Amino acid sequence: MIHIDKILPIANSLAMWGFSVLVISVVVFQAFIFIHLVCKQAPSSGMSRTEINRALRTGVISALGPSLGIIIVAVSLITVIGAPLTLMRIGIIGSAAYELTAAGIGAKAYGVELGKDGFNLQAFTTAVWTMCIGGLGWLLSAALFTKSLGKIQGKIQAQNSKIMALISTAAMMGAFGYFTAGQIVAGFNETVVVLISGITMMALMIAAEKWKLAWLKEWALGITLVVGMSIGYLTTI
Amino acid sequence: MNEKAGVKSERNEMEFFHKKAHFWGRFTLWAVIITTMLPPMYLSFILGYHPGWDVILTAFIGVTAFIGIMWVLEPISYFPSLGISGTYMSFLVGNISNMCLPCSAAAQNAIDADPGTKKAELAATLGIAAASLVHIIVLVPVVLGGSYIVSILPPSIQTAFQFVLPAIFGGVTAQFAMKRPIYGVIGIAFGVFITLLAIPSFIKVVLCVVGTITMAYLLEKYKNVKKAEEGKIFLDKY
Repeated sequence: MIHIDKILPIANSLAMWGFSVLVISVVVFQAFIFIHLVCKQAPSSGMSRTEINRALRTGVISALGPSLGIIIVAVSLITVIGAPLTLMRIGIIGSAAYELTAAGIGAKAYGVELGKDGFNLQAFTTAVWTMCIGGLGWLLSAALFTKSLGKIQGKIQAQNSKIMALISTAAMMGAFGYFTAGQIVAGFNETVVVLISGITMMALMIAAEKWKLAWLKEWALGITLVVGMSIGYLTTI
Repeated sequence: MNEKAGVKSERNEMEFFHKKAHFWGRFTLWAVIITTMLPPMYLSFILGYHPGWDVILTAFIGVTAFIGIMWVLEPISYFPSLGISGTYMSFLVGNISNMCLPCSAAAQNAIDADPGTKKAELAATLGIAAASLVHIIVLVPVVLGGSYIVSILPPSIQTAFQFVLPAIFGGVTAQFAMKRPIYGVIGIAFGVFITLLAIPSFIKVVLCVVGTITMAYLLEKYKNVKKAEEGKIFLDKY
């Protein structure tokens, strides 16, 4: 395959690794800064050291499932755009579906198909431009709008803090309701997994309340994921 | 009098946190905005493979048509659930729906924080920050040794991971719905209804979020009206 010989050496070059590491460092730095900010704020908001650690642990455990789930998909992306770019793109957007589509749009704009005949270094460059510009959209949006959104939230909170709590809860339920519905509609196997996961989670949370097992609350989502995914696998046998 | 002063100082404390969150959030976002454009510029101008600005413009129009509306809709839809720091972090590390939101929700539930409170916001921030780090830590070895890892993964594991999404959404929805079951029912009902509607997919999340919020608001109002009525009947009796 011609393109692999020409493109991947460039895609996997030291310079690309350098850029990738640069971008990922900012992500890591941001996480640490925000953790630091929370730790500073926590005492005056009545949050104990135990609670901080608990929240962190829960985040770690709950993130393992989705992060590991990306492995196969990331590997397929590597064969097209190389390892350093995959690290950068999955690290800041995380959707291989978006990246591949964007790269495809870039290749088409140059007049070729991704990875097919004629996909030369110019086409590859176009694909990279497209992925990065597309990704910019979210970054710019968050960078520019969040402050205004925060102000609106502050105003609503000042007027009626109960309304803000209601909006937060309902918004979360709306978002998750939509995602869950998407899975239910996707198929019978998925619906079974959704139901089993829901029941497992409820059982775990009730048990944690009843027997005062704080650690169970941290691990609840992690355990539910393992149970849910195993059931999912069983449904395909 | 005391309560008012208490509430005011509460807001001032979080004001400091929010100010810092805005500063560092935007600082890191802009840092990535600049650094993410380095690879294409390097390829185009240092290595000389520039395909021409017209080609790039075509590609830009294409990708905007494909996903542009999400750039605006997603921050608005997710901000109420993520909060200020949550939004800055989630839009930097991506994987918002399948990782940041669930981890944020799980962290809040783990410390029994009520949604919308300061503790909830702090817990959410920690949950997402932790997720962000885990994501990167998992990603690095995958990117370095990915094909080898995939080759030794048994197919059963691969199949199981195809069910990450239904498992995580089922779990988080249940966890959250336990607090307000009626909201959970509304959310899923709306979700199914909207998913099945033949409208463009990019509006669906927003519609579902707005719809659920509206129904929740109406429900609260109805409950308050009923309470007032019952109170009135009680008073009338006496």
